[in-house]
Amino acid sequence: MPRSNPELPEPDVSVPAGEAPAGTCPYCERPFRTDHALDLHVGEHHDPTEAERERYEAALETERDDLWFFHAKAVVGLGVTYAATVILYMAVLGGFF
Amino acid sequence: MGRDRAGRPSGDVSRADGAGGAAGRAVGHAILFAVAVYACTGEASAHAGSLGGSVAEATVPTWLVVLTGGIVVGGTFLFTTLLTDHEAMRGVNWWRLPVPIPAAPGRAVRLVLGAASVGLLALVIVTGFTAPADPTRDFAVLFVWAGWWAGFTATTYLVGNTWPLVNPWRALVALGNRVHGILGGAGGERMTHGGAGGERTAGERTAGGEGRERASGSIPDSWGVWPAVAGLLALVWVEVVSPVGEDPRLLAGLVVGYTLATVAGGLRYGSAWFERVDPVSRVFAAYGRVAPLQRTGDGVAVRLPGTALTGDPLPERPGEIAFVVALLWVTTYDGLVATPAWERAVAPLVDAGVPALLVYAGALLAGFGLFVGVYRLAARRVRTAADSYVTARAVERWFAPALLPIAAGYHLAHFLGYFVGLAPALAAVGASPFAPPMNTLVFVLPGWFGTVKLLCVLGGHVLAIWVAHSLAFELFPGVLSAIRSQYPSVAVMVFYTMTSLWVITQPYGSPPFV
Repeated sequence: MPRSNPELPEPDVSVPAGEAPAGTCPYCERPFRTDHALDLHVGEHHDPTEAERERYEAALETERDDLWFFHAKAVVGLGVTYAATVILYMAVLGGFF
Repeated sequence: MGRDRAGRPSGDVSRADGAGGAAGRAVGHAILFAVAVYACTGEASAHAGSLGGSVAEATVPTWLVVLTGGIVVGGTFLFTTLLTDHEAMRGVNWWRLPVPIPAAPGRAVRLVLGAASVGLLALVIVTGFTAPADPTRDFAVLFVWAGWWAGFTATTYLVGNTWPLVNPWRALVALGNRVHGILGGAGGERMTHGGAGGERTAGERTAGGEGRERASGSIPDSWGVWPAVAGLLALVWVEVVSPVGEDPRLLAGLVVGYTLATVAGGLRYGSAWFERVDPVSRVFAAYGRVAPLQRTGDGVAVRLPGTALTGDPLPERPGEIAFVVALLWVTTYDGLVATPAWERAVAPLVDAGVPALLVYAGALLAGFGLFVGVYRLAARRVRTAADSYVTARAVERWFAPALLPIAAGYHLAHFLGYFVGLAPALAAVGASPFAPPMNTLVFVLPGWFGTVKLLCVLGGHVLAIWVAHSLAFELFPGVLSAIRSQYPSVAVMVFYTMTSLWVITQPYGSPPFV
C-alpha cells in the first residue's frame, strides 16, 4: 500500500555531475545514492512487487540492527547529559564556581 | 484538500495499535522527562528570567540558564530519535477534530466584523491625535501595542488566524471595490478571484470580503513574497528606532500612512497585496499555521499545536523561506537591541559619528543575512548528512515551517508579560477612550513569571524539534537517514535557543541612541 503523504509534494532532486546514482526508483524515477535507500523508498512509497518487497524487508532488517545500536548510543548520551547537568547544578548551587 | 486524510489517521492508529502503544508509552516518558527537566531548570532560573541581572547572580548564573536551554533542546532531540514508528507519528500529526464552524462566515458576520474593525482603526487614529500627555492613558498606544501587537498576535498562534476576518484594511478595500462597482468604474479592468497567489489564498479569499475584486495591477511573479520580507524588516526597524511605542501622535500618523498605503495597494493589486506585500497579514498567516484551529477542505478542525506544519510545505515562491527566517530574526532583534551588550557594542560606532539609525539598519540587515546564511548552510549539510540527492533548496523549503513554532514561542515570551501587565489599563481606557481614568492600574508580575517566559522559548523549540523530526521522516526513506538528516538543524536550533534565552535573561532597557 502506498504510504506517502498525499499532501506533500515530491522533493526536487539533483545528481552531482560525474556521479552515477546507485539506483533509480522504477515508479517515480527519483535517484538514490544507495541501494539501501532505494529499497526502503520503494517499499514505503509505492506498491512493490514480490522481489522488491523482499529487498524492502531485508533493508528494514538492516535498519533495525543499526537502529538498535544508534538507540543504545542515544540512551547513553541522554544519561550522561542528565547526570552531567545535575552535577553541574550541584556544583554551581553549592558555590564551587 | 485534507478531506481524504481526515479519515485515515484514525484507521492507521487502530491498525497499528501494538506499535502505537509502545510509541505512546515512549511519548509519555519523553513528556515526563521534559517536564522534569523543565521543573528543574524552571525552578532554578526563575529569578534569572524575571529580573535579569539584578537577582540572577544570587541563584543561577545566566550562563547556566542559557546552557540548560541548549541541553533541553538537544536532549529533546535525543528523545525524539527514540520515536521511530512513522505510523504512530502520523497518528499524532494527522489527528483532527472537526469543529462546527463554517469555514467561510456569512455575509452578515463579515459585515459586522469589518465595520467593527474599521471603527477600531478610526478610534485608534482619533485617540492617537487627541492623546493625553501620559501615553499609558492613551487608547491608541495601549490598544495597538498591548492589545493588538502583543495580545491579538498571541491568539493567531495559540488559537487560530482570524486576521483575514478582522483586518480593517481588507474591509476598507472591499468597501472601495464595492463603491467603485456601484459607480460603474469597472470598464476595461480585469476581474480576479483572489489574485495570482496560488493555493494558500483559499482561506483569505473567502474571508476577504466581497470575493470579486478589481485589480488593475499585478506584482511580478519573480518578486514572490520579497516585498513582504522588506516590509517586515522595515516595520520592525521603524518600531525599534522611533518612539512610536510611546508617542501617540507619531503612532497615529504611522497608522494613517499604513492605512493609505495598504488600501491603495489592496485596491490596485487585489488579494495579492495581502498575500505578498502586506507584512502584517503575512506575519499572522505564518503564525496561524502553528495554531490548533486550522481550516480544512470543508470547515475548521482542531489539531494538535504545530502538527499542521508537518503536512504543509511552503509554496514554491521566491522569498517564502526568507520570510520565515525574517520572522524569526526580527523577534530576536527586537529583544537584542534592548540589551546592555548591544549598547556597549554600538557605543564606539555611534561615538565615531556613524548615525545611529544607520547602525540599527545595518545590524538588522546583517543579522537577517546571518540567519539566512546559517539556515542555508544547515540545509546543505542536511543533504550530506542524509546521504541524499534531494536538493539543498528543496531541503530549505521542506524544513522552514519547523522554524515557525520557535518564532511563536519567542514572541509569547517577549510579549506575554507586557500584555498581562497592561491588560487592566487597556480595559479601563478601552471603557472610555476619550476620557480615560486619571490613574490606570498596571499589574506587577510575580517573580516566577520569568520561568514562564523561559518555558515559552523552550516550548517553541521543543515543538520545532518534533515538527522537524516528522518532516524528516516524510522526506527521507527509512529511519536512520531521517534521524541523521536532523543533526545540522538541531545544532542550529540549539544555537537559536541559547541566543534567545540569553536575550530574554538580559535586563530590559529601551534601545539606546535613538
